[in-house]
Parts: sequence; C-alpha cells; structure tokens
Amino acid sequence: MKHQITVTVNGTQYTSEVEPRLLLVHYLRDVLNLTGTHVGCDTSQCGACTVLINGEAVKSCTVLAVQADGAEITTIEGLAKDGQLHPLQEGFWEMHGLQCGFCTPGMIMTAYDLLQKNPNPSEEEIRHGLEGNLCRCTGYQNIVRAVQYASDKMRGQPVAAGND
Amino acid sequence: MAVTKLFGASIKRREDPRMITGRANYTDDVRLPGTLSLAILRSPYAHARIKRINVEKARQLPGVVAVYTGKDLADTLAPVPCAWLPPNSDLKVPEYRALAIDTVRYVGDGVAAVVAEDRYRAADALAAIEVDYEILPAVVDQEKAVAEGAPQLYADVPNNTAFVWRLSGGDVEAALAQADVVVSQRLVNHRLIPTAMETRAALAYYNPGSGELTLWCTSQNPHIHRLLLSAVTGLPETRIRVISTDVGGGFGSKLPFYAGEMIASAIAKDLGRPIKWVEDRRENFVATTHGRDHIDYVDVAAKRDGTITGIRVRSYANMGAYLSTAAPGVPTWLFGLMLSGPYTIPNVAVEVYGVLTNTTPTDAYRGAGRPEATYILERMMDLVADRLGMDPVEIRRKNFIPKDKFPYTVATTLQYDSGDYELTLNRALEIVGYDAFRKEQAEARKQGRLLGIGLSSYVEVCGLAPSQAAGAMGFQGGLWESATVRVHPSGKVSVFTGANPHGQGEETTFAQLVADELGVPIDDVEVVHGDTGRIPFGMGTYGSRSTAVGGSALVYAARKVRDKGAKIAAHLLEVSPDDIVFDQGRYYVKGAPDRVKTFQEVAGAAYLAWSMPEGVTPGLEETHFFDPINNTYPFGTHVCVVEVDPHTGQVTFRRYVAVDDVGHVINPMIVDGQVHGGIAQGLAQAVYEAAVYDENGQLLTGSLMDYAIPTASMVPTYEVDRTETPTPVNPMGLKGAGETGTIASTPAVVNAIIDALKPYGITHLDMPLTPQRIWQAIQQAQKGS
Amino acid sequence: MKISGSYTMQAARQAVWDKLIDPDAIAGCLPGVEELTKVGDNEFTMAMTVGIGPVRGTYAGKVTLANLNPPESYEMQVEGSGRPGFVKGSGQIHLAQGVGGGTAITYEGDVEVGGPVGSVAQRMLGGVARRMIEQFFGCIEKQITGG
Repeated sequence: MKHQITVTVNGTQYTSEVEPRLLLVHYLRDVLNLTGTHVGCDTSQCGACTVLINGEAVKSCTVLAVQADGAEITTIEGLAKDGQLHPLQEGFWEMHGLQCGFCTPGMIMTAYDLLQKNPNPSEEEIRHGLEGNLCRCTGYQNIVRAVQYASDKMRGQPVAAGND
Repeated sequence: MAVTKLFGASIKRREDPRMITGRANYTDDVRLPGTLSLAILRSPYAHARIKRINVEKARQLPGVVAVYTGKDLADTLAPVPCAWLPPNSDLKVPEYRALAIDTVRYVGDGVAAVVAEDRYRAADALAAIEVDYEILPAVVDQEKAVAEGAPQLYADVPNNTAFVWRLSGGDVEAALAQADVVVSQRLVNHRLIPTAMETRAALAYYNPGSGELTLWCTSQNPHIHRLLLSAVTGLPETRIRVISTDVGGGFGSKLPFYAGEMIASAIAKDLGRPIKWVEDRRENFVATTHGRDHIDYVDVAAKRDGTITGIRVRSYANMGAYLSTAAPGVPTWLFGLMLSGPYTIPNVAVEVYGVLTNTTPTDAYRGAGRPEATYILERMMDLVADRLGMDPVEIRRKNFIPKDKFPYTVATTLQYDSGDYELTLNRALEIVGYDAFRKEQAEARKQGRLLGIGLSSYVEVCGLAPSQAAGAMGFQGGLWESATVRVHPSGKVSVFTGANPHGQGEETTFAQLVADELGVPIDDVEVVHGDTGRIPFGMGTYGSRSTAVGGSALVYAARKVRDKGAKIAAHLLEVSPDDIVFDQGRYYVKGAPDRVKTFQEVAGAAYLAWSMPEGVTPGLEETHFFDPINNTYPFGTHVCVVEVDPHTGQVTFRRYVAVDDVGHVINPMIVDGQVHGGIAQGLAQAVYEAAVYDENGQLLTGSLMDYAIPTASMVPTYEVDRTETPTPVNPMGLKGAGETGTIASTPAVVNAIIDALKPYGITHLDMPLTPQRIWQAIQQAQKGS
Repeated sequence: MKISGSYTMQAARQAVWDKLIDPDAIAGCLPGVEELTKVGDNEFTMAMTVGIGPVRGTYAGKVTLANLNPPESYEMQVEGSGRPGFVKGSGQIHLAQGVGGGTAITYEGDVEVGGPVGSVAQRMLGGVARRMIEQFFGCIEKQITGG
C-alpha cells in the first residue's frame, strides 16, 4: 500500500515510502522531523501549516504527501540563507509580530507568497492577503507592520524604525 | 525605583529567533524514539449512560498496542481535584474522571483511549470502538438547568446547582429603595472558546532506571500540574518532572488539568514506551475548557444627578458538566469583588449560582471574571446615563474614585492600590476627539448614517495576592512567586522563574530586570522557565501576575545576590561592606572609584572561595519567594468608534483608542503587543465569537469554520497610549498588562454600536452583535415606531 | 435542528401512502441507502452513505414507522451511527388530498448529528436534509407515475 515519493525540501532531496493517506504536514513533521511547520486545525482555516510548494504558499494539511511527489518545498526552516534571516523573519522580530509564535511560521510563508505577487502591498492588501492565517495573540497590527518592514527592505527602501 | 537603562526599553524579544526560524520546541515538536500515539474517544452525546463498550475490534487492528475504558483506568487514576473551593457557598464538587465510567455528561467527555504505533492507526482504532449509549435528556442553558423538572446531571447535586455564592458590602436594598432611578437589565455574557493556536498536547516518558516520569505538556503552570499529577497517579512529586517551555498560547485554557495529560502519564510506565497525545482542533473545541457564559440580572440605583448609589447582581454562571480546576473562583471572587469597578459605589450585592449543564466545562478565559464584571458596569453606566439624559463621559467622571483617595477601599473590601482614572479618560477623549466626533455624529444622523462612540473605563485586579487572601477565598494554592538567580563563576547569570510565559515575553523582560539589577550585559542573562526539574516551585502564568509577582521575586533575589557580592567585594578590597558602592556591575570603594572589583571578578571569587569574608558561604546564588501585600489594580479607558450600515447591520470600525495605566513599564513594545491582542479578543466577543449549542447539547460552533475568531481584516488599527501611575505593592511599581485589553474592549465596542443605534431607540442588545442581530433589531424598532 | 416543508405529488393519496411505507420503495428512493432489511412490523435496519458538508461516511442504523394512520399520516424515525458520528431524525408526515387529484405532503421534524461530523457539518445539515427529502419524494413520485 505504500508509495514511493521523492521531494526536495529546503534544497535537500528525500525519497520516502509513504501511506497514500499521509498528509504532507505530517510527512514534513513526523518523517522529516521538520517541526517548524505547525498544525493548528483540521479544517484548513488556521494556516499554521503553510509551506511553499513550487514557490507558492499552500496549506500543507490540505495536500497528501503523495501529491507532493516531485515537488520543491520550502518550509520555515529553509527561509534563512547562510545564517542570514529573510527580511520577513527580520520584520517579525523587529516589529514584535509574534507572541506565542505558533502561527508565525505559517504567517511568514503566506506573507512570502503575498510579497512575491505584490511587492508593495497596502495595509488593506496585507490584511486581506493574510486572511487564511489565524493569530490569537497579536491582534494582527504588528504582523501587518512586520510585512511592511519586509516589503520595504526587499524593495531596497529604508525600513521603518524597529522597536529598539 | 531603579529606572536604569534596560527598564523601559523596547528591546527585541529573545524568544523570537527560535520561533521565526521554526526551531521552537512546542510539545508536539519533542521527538523521542519509539513514541506511541494516544487518542481519546469522546462522547457524541451530551448526556448518556454507557451501556456497553466493545473494544475488541479496535484491539485487533494492526498497530494498536492498548485500549482503555474508564473502568480500566478507574484504579490507576483518581478523580481530578478541583483547586478552587469558595467557602460558605454550599459547594458540591462532582466526581471528575479522566474517562467517564458509567455516564457521559457532555459532548467531548472521554469514553475510551487507544494507543497505537502512529496517529493514523490510533484514529482507525477509535472508529472501531463500539459504544452502546442510552441517551438521557440533556440541559444546556443554565437558567433552564436550575428550573424545576430539568434533567439532573448528578443525583447528589440538587437543581444542578454546584454552589451559591454571595458577597455584599453596604446596604444595597436600602440604596435601591431610596434611589431616584433604578435601572434594571438582563445581560448575557455568552460562552467563548479560548482557541489558543496550539491545541493541547502531552508527551509522557517513564524512565525505568531512575523511576522518573517526565511529562512535556502545554501548561501555563507546570508545578501545579505536577502536584495534580502526583495527586491523581499517586507518584511522588520527586519522581515527576513537568516541562512546558514553548507553549502556543493559553488564555487560561492551559491552566486546568485534563484527561489527555493524565492518561499519557498513567500508561507510559506500563507500556514501557513514550506516549504522545496531541489534541486535534475539533477535539479542542469540545475537550478544552470554555470561558464566560454568564446570565446576569442587574439593578443599579442612582440619584438624579447621576451618582450611582448601589448595584445588585444575580448571576447564573454556566460551569459545564464538571467543575474544572480553577472554575469556581472565576464567577465568584474574580467577578464579584470587582463589581464596583472604578466607581465609588457604596452598596454592592452579588449572588452567583454556579450551574452544572451538559456542556464543556468552563474555566478561566483571558480576564476570568473581570471582563464579566466590567461588561456589567460599563453597559449599565450607559443605560443609566441614557435614562438620565446624561453624556456617558459625564456619568463616568461623576462616579470615578478621585485620585487623591488612594489607597481606596471599595464596598467589596478590596483596597485599590493607586489610580488616576480621570487621567486615562481625558487622554482617550483627547486622542479620539470626542467633542468633534459628537458633532460629526449629529451631522451624520441627519443623513441617515449611524455613527457611534463607546466608552469603557475599567479597573481590574491582577498580580493576585497575598497568599493569605487566597486561603480566605478557598484557592487551594498560594499566590506568591519564586525566583532563583544563579551567578556562574564567569559572571554569567541563569535566572529560574516559577512564572511560565507562553507568549508574554518574560524571557526578555525578566532578563532586562536582572541585567539592570546586576549591571551585567543582557546577553549574559538566560531566563529558564517551564521545567519543574530546573526551576523552584512556582505558581505559573495567569491573571496578569507574572511580572508583578514573579518579576518582583526576581528583583529581590537579584538584590540578595548583589548584597552578597558586596560583602565579598569588600573583603577582597579590604574595606567594610558599608564602604562599597555598587554601580553598573562594579563594586568600588566609596570615594575611590579606581579601587574596584567587577561583578564578574566577584562571581569568580565566590566560587573559588579561596578567601571569603567570615560567615559568608561560597557560591553566588539566591532564591526569593515573593508574596506581595496586595493585588495590583491596572485601569484605563478605551474608546471605540463605529459606523453601522442601517441596511445590512454591518459594523465598520473607524477608530479604536486604548489608554491604559499598568504602572511602570519594562518593555513598552511588549506591553503594546499585549494590549493589541487583548483588544482583538475582547472585540471579537462583542461582534464575532460565540459558542453555540443546540438544545441537545451539540456544539454547533465546533470548528474554526463556524467559530469566528477574527482574521487580520476583521480588526481595526489600535491607537494605544498609556499613563503611568505606579503601584506601591512591588519594587518596580508595575501592575500587569496581560488582560486589560480584553477586559476593556468588549463593552467599548458594544457601547459604540448601541450608541450608533440610538436613533432607533435601541438601548441594549446581547452579544455577539452580528449584522443579523443588528439588522433584526433595526427592523423591529422600525416596526414599533 | 428543526426542519419542515412540503411536497406536492401528482398522484392519488392512497398510491402515495402505499409507496411511502413500502420498504423497497424507501430503499430505492432514500439517497445513499445501501441496504434495508425488515426486522419487524414497520421496523427496518439499514446501511446508508451520506455526505454532510465535508464529511462523507456510512451509517448503520434503523428506520421505524409509527402511528400509522392510513392514508393520512405517520411518524418516521431514523437513526444511524458510524465512523463520522451519529445522525438522528424524527418527523411527522401528513398527506392531504390536493387539488386536481394530487397529494400534498407536509413534513416537520427534528434532525440531529453528533460526534466528529457534528462539529464540522452542523450548518450544512439543514440543506442536506432538505435536499435528501426532495430527492426522496421526487423518486417516489416517479415510481408512482412511472415518469
């Protein structure tokens, strides 16, 4: 009953035998031990499990591992390059865009996709773009500021003053 | 008050690097080889007798290791104790088992547990368990549950009434009899579901060599959970270690002690393998405690000039099917004591019925009792103002406790520490531009547009203390907090706190405090929490107490370290300790600043101990248990401005202004963040969130598809400001900031919407004020006129 | 959850009545029924596959007809449980002589779902129940009229 899949996650290629019903998020967490991608619900509302599949943000609880065969996947663990935080990670840190941190990886991956499609979003566009991700701690205001920070930085604009 | 360079600085959080890179360690992220997966079968019926359970099919499925029923665990796990037992309330605590034995009493009550090789096989096994239920009549509404002829949950709890609690100060009956006006209103403070983004989880590992059980779990208070785990399993505390380092939000729901954690712990030894249980979200909706759910009958006595002379409240608090860990304290003490709020109301009386129903147990949810009290007061203030034709601002101003009257003892006997309520009101009105808004509102009304402004002035009690008061209130614990400051030989510092932050950022703020006290670089300070194997016994994080109580413990422990260091430095410098000055990490001789030992040199000397002053022991480590003399009382005023679409009932937020006074602030960025998140949660109660049961006890809002926690586009931009009125009850003069936003925002939003609906003569609507509810009220009003 | 509605068939009342209590007709017309076995007077066991919202599953249970008052009214109870949870329903069905020889059927009752399906599918329940009833009556009508 097991199927062989080959996926590239954060630049490393993995080949695994998986059950057809295994969700991608459980594959990442339980098979590859990439526990940065979280599970916050079972109805695809919360977005905590968001990863990039072939460059696009996808809720990994809505994808079976077998459907990801051949895909390039980026998780939160793969976002920083050579020890350098991605501007979004920097923005969340600078702007206090997280409290308990549980929604943060999914938030960042969704925001990554958003900025890819719209490098200079308005506040309204950011709020709209993050609608598929729930945060229970921050009230979202500092998440919006974090995305604005990243947008500025990625476009080579001077960034808004951080908090220190 | 030592205001030095880090106190008051918005430094970035030290928690964040691991969280933004996906390297935090939430309970489900902890991996142990050979771990088995535990899953719990939960009752689909709100009230039923278990006639028969057949687990044989489940047992025979591939990958299934064990299956347990309530009967199987009855001897292994004692009933869960209730930890808050209000005296003189005729309290009856029903037996609360990890798994139900004969009768299930809510949808979600545990019926059986399976252990399998992985979560998928455990889910298969759950589906293969056959249970025959005899369905019993259920009761969901607390007013129906106390009525004659209602289905009874327990033979020994007549009328489903677990307790009746009363508190009064002054003579409210006389006040009502003599009042110029009495305003009465039934208010529903509906049920909410805390919905921390991380569901609950547990990983239990029994080490046969050491005989120690380690439980990683999602806990706000690991030592309390260790104590309760010891009580239900019979294992001594010395053989139990509870670890909850990274916790993905709690909001009160991770305070209580629950089945999954207990069962995993109880079977890990027998099965000889680590046991992991991870709650799924659907399960979280029914199996993790809910909050609020009050029905309040309120009568307010007032003079014609707006002076409030008395308030009488009768409340029916829905406790759910069992009394959860801290539950009885929430609708009693935490609610009743605060029923005069920031006002000089001399006569207060409250009567609370704690009612058992066939619903998920309720317990603390952000604010726990104070939001309920504040909602009553702030709604009633507007209703009285409306009756008397007063401005909502003026009635509040008229009744505020004046700033020169602190410390002030209210009718319920609490002594408020410090306050300047009018200051926050004035600041909030200035920011929002109150007078200009009223003009704009009048103009808009002429055009048929519905603008509204809502005020909420609050005072809340936090940093709960002292332990003696806890005893008097029947809280089965102390209200102190512990801290150990361990200086290593290099001068690096480990701080061990009994508080257990799970998003509040104390890894950062506590490091700020200690770095200031010891004059060491903040990077030299590590903050350790959430591991009973490492920290001293502590009470955990809830009730906005961590910094006011736990932070103070830390400051005192650090000062003990500093003082011991001074003795060692004096010895090394060959002067009297009285001649030593400590400044920014340096001990020097008074008048001779070049004769100096750095803190690090002193730390080294303390551990080498080659030459110690007489009577001073080696090492540099101090512990302090801080039991404050009083609670702290943060306060503030929030103002919300809305526009309501008369055709659809849709509410648009135009402004949200929050002026809070939490005393001195260690890290403004973090406090602002707490306020933001608190506002979002309180605002969500006003307009979005509601736990809804059908009459059979099925939770209709049982997933994130139906329970509307707000998304980014559903909340406004918050304009946050602060005044700083220090408290005298702790060395830092700070009060606590975790719940103010939630407490204040709900009535501010409701008052704004009701104000907007004023042209229709609407004076009150129960929450949540959904477009449908508002639209219906408008239709009704138009029909009536 | 309460449901109620009506359906008018172009068929004589007695013919409608006969079909409505005929196990073969019920089995053939109630959507998703895989098996219907008579186990007693007006009592049947059944297996049924239903999708409610996102949750599709098979329920085993029974159908009971009671208080039969031919050809005017009867009560029907359906209950089933399965992996997704349980489904329970009860209702009264009235048949009235319609204009032009037709039969006007009115129904009202209660439907409840619980267990895993309950938490995610409640709000779809009304729609699903109504659709199934429509399909059921539509199918019965076809059987009578041979359409």
